[in-house]
Amino acid sequence: MSSHEPTPKTRKPGERVFCLLLVIGSVYLFWQAYQIAGFSELSSAGAFPMATAATMILAACFIFVNTLKRPANQNAHFFTHCFPPIVAIIMALILVYAVVLESLGFILSSFVFLFTTIQFLYRRRVLTTLAISLFALIMVYIVFRLIFQVVLPEGIIPERDIIASITALWR
Amino acid sequence: MDALNYFAMSWLSPELLALTALGTFLGIYVGAIPGLSVTMAVSILISFTFSWDVNNALCLMVGVYMGGVYGGSRTAILLNIPGAPSAIATALDGYPLAKKGLAGEAIGLSTVMSVVGGFIGILVLALAAPSIADFAITFQPRDYMMLGILGIMLVGSLSGSSLAKGIFAGAFGLLIGTVGLDPMTADERFTFGIIELWDGINPVAVMIGLFGISEALHQLQHMDKAVIKQKISRIIPRLSDVKKYLPLSVRTSFIGVIVGALPGTGGDIAALMAYDHAKRSTKEPDVEFGKGAKEGLIAPESANNAAVGGAYIPMLTLGIPGDAVTAVFIGALFIHGLNPGPLLMVEQPHMFWFTVGNLTLANIFILIFGLTGIKLFSKIVECPKGILIPLIFLLSIVGAYAINNAITDIWWMLAFGVFGYFMRLYGFPVGPVILGVILSSLTDENWRRAILTERGSVIDLFVHLFTSPLSIVLFMTIVLILFTKTPLWSKVVKPKLFPNDA
Repeated sequence: MSSHEPTPKTRKPGERVFCLLLVIGSVYLFWQAYQIAGFSELSSAGAFPMATAATMILAACFIFVNTLKRPANQNAHFFTHCFPPIVAIIMALILVYAVVLESLGFILSSFVFLFTTIQFLYRRRVLTTLAISLFALIMVYIVFRLIFQVVLPEGIIPERDIIASITALWR
Repeated sequence: MDALNYFAMSWLSPELLALTALGTFLGIYVGAIPGLSVTMAVSILISFTFSWDVNNALCLMVGVYMGGVYGGSRTAILLNIPGAPSAIATALDGYPLAKKGLAGEAIGLSTVMSVVGGFIGILVLALAAPSIADFAITFQPRDYMMLGILGIMLVGSLSGSSLAKGIFAGAFGLLIGTVGLDPMTADERFTFGIIELWDGINPVAVMIGLFGISEALHQLQHMDKAVIKQKISRIIPRLSDVKKYLPLSVRTSFIGVIVGALPGTGGDIAALMAYDHAKRSTKEPDVEFGKGAKEGLIAPESANNAAVGGAYIPMLTLGIPGDAVTAVFIGALFIHGLNPGPLLMVEQPHMFWFTVGNLTLANIFILIFGLTGIKLFSKIVECPKGILIPLIFLLSIVGAYAINNAITDIWWMLAFGVFGYFMRLYGFPVGPVILGVILSSLTDENWRRAILTERGSVIDLFVHLFTSPLSIVLFMTIVLILFTKTPLWSKVVKPKLFPNDA
């Protein structure tokens, strides 16, 4: 199993809100599950979703009440300990990458993404970052596009034509 | 004879042999590099290999799985950072050994004992699985339903401190698995009128989000951990050491297989139990436990590799994953059109023997790669997180896109990545979500079959449950797990039963 932190004795900033959102979300999903077939039959398409949503409501309420009981951690702040700027910035970068991936194409968007994030996280000279991201991109391209034959969005660089002309040169 | 043919398939084909070797090699590094997990790697690999021939894809993934479980021990010994949760117990005595300058010896010994454990696990799998599958054919739909629930509850109760959080995560996963058109009645479930949702949410996108993106986001908070370098001398272990510790290794391997075979428990718990066993059974250790006892290194390493073979038993015979990695594996088998479960053994016995042969092969490669290439290894493991994490993001996004060439899958993957980040932050385990997604249709279908055969009467279902010993055992186990988490148990019953524990 992957790593996760054990539940602390104190409540983390934002934990109350998160648990409350889980309760609200579960209730909404239960209502959606009810819409599938109502309480018509135990073997209907909606019975199992309703049972799981009901379990979610019960568990979420239990967790929410337990969270309320715990004292808040006075030393922790949401934007420094739980959702620090570094996470928010990286999330935003990933979002931008996902948005432009199809229109710009894999090569261009990935290069820009790698360059920006490595520069931001690794903080070396621009030339070093440039070399690292180019090398990484070439490796990924060779392994996944050329060896694994994964279809990647082409975008504005006419990749297929370039590959075709290179292979034509070979022959 | 047929069985032997299929067993040797991956040994004789150069392509399959090379892929297994590559997988094992990659797996060792994936397991060793803190920040990369086997679950993450296999999730991403599914998306890249689903267009391949099923045998090729399985060879690569089996190699990564076997290698990854072993690889976690490397960094546990060298850096005191377990590369994988199953190596947590390894660090307890492995790192003190490395501090004494015995890192090479510790790595060599753990390699040999991992391989011993791996072989025992595979042997038990090969011997036990066919008869378990025969037995599983007699399972009633209600038994399958209960097995599904049991698996999720075990993962939920063991992987986090709070059962409620585990149950929430499991139920959430089950619900995600129901999204789309109902396979029995074609009713729309949670589609919100969006046609793209008719096929459901792709489990691979959920996996990559929860294990790739959310894990990497989480690690952004621990960017500046200093790395301590260790000197590595001889790796090949002394024959006298191997002989001396072999009985312990065999004993803990059996602990590993059994724990691995239980639904919901995997290598991490097997390793901790084995460590505990070694501590209790070694009366006079040469060195104290926790200060570099070789017993404390061998026991968890044998057990967690033996648990791999064990985990395959419920996966191949019942279609029930033992932990998050096997859940991801079942997802891979589904994608390749294979249906893990008792019928797989009857209809496609070659798949079973192929897997057994392949696991054996991967285990041999562990021995080869484990005892060589240590110089290269220490270079790669020092790869800074500032470069590693962007690459994980890149591969996650490209992987999610590659499943269907659809941007929609990227959105799902990102949504689950962010949600998973907050789940981890507030102590919710993410493993049960994946287990739930994988087990959803099995549990749903068998519930409906069970209730239909009882003509919709819950009372009849409950009464008939007590006519079958298997159903009784399963039902009682579920009740017991729930009961042990209630205040009644911890305040009244437990002090009476185990007065010494309190």
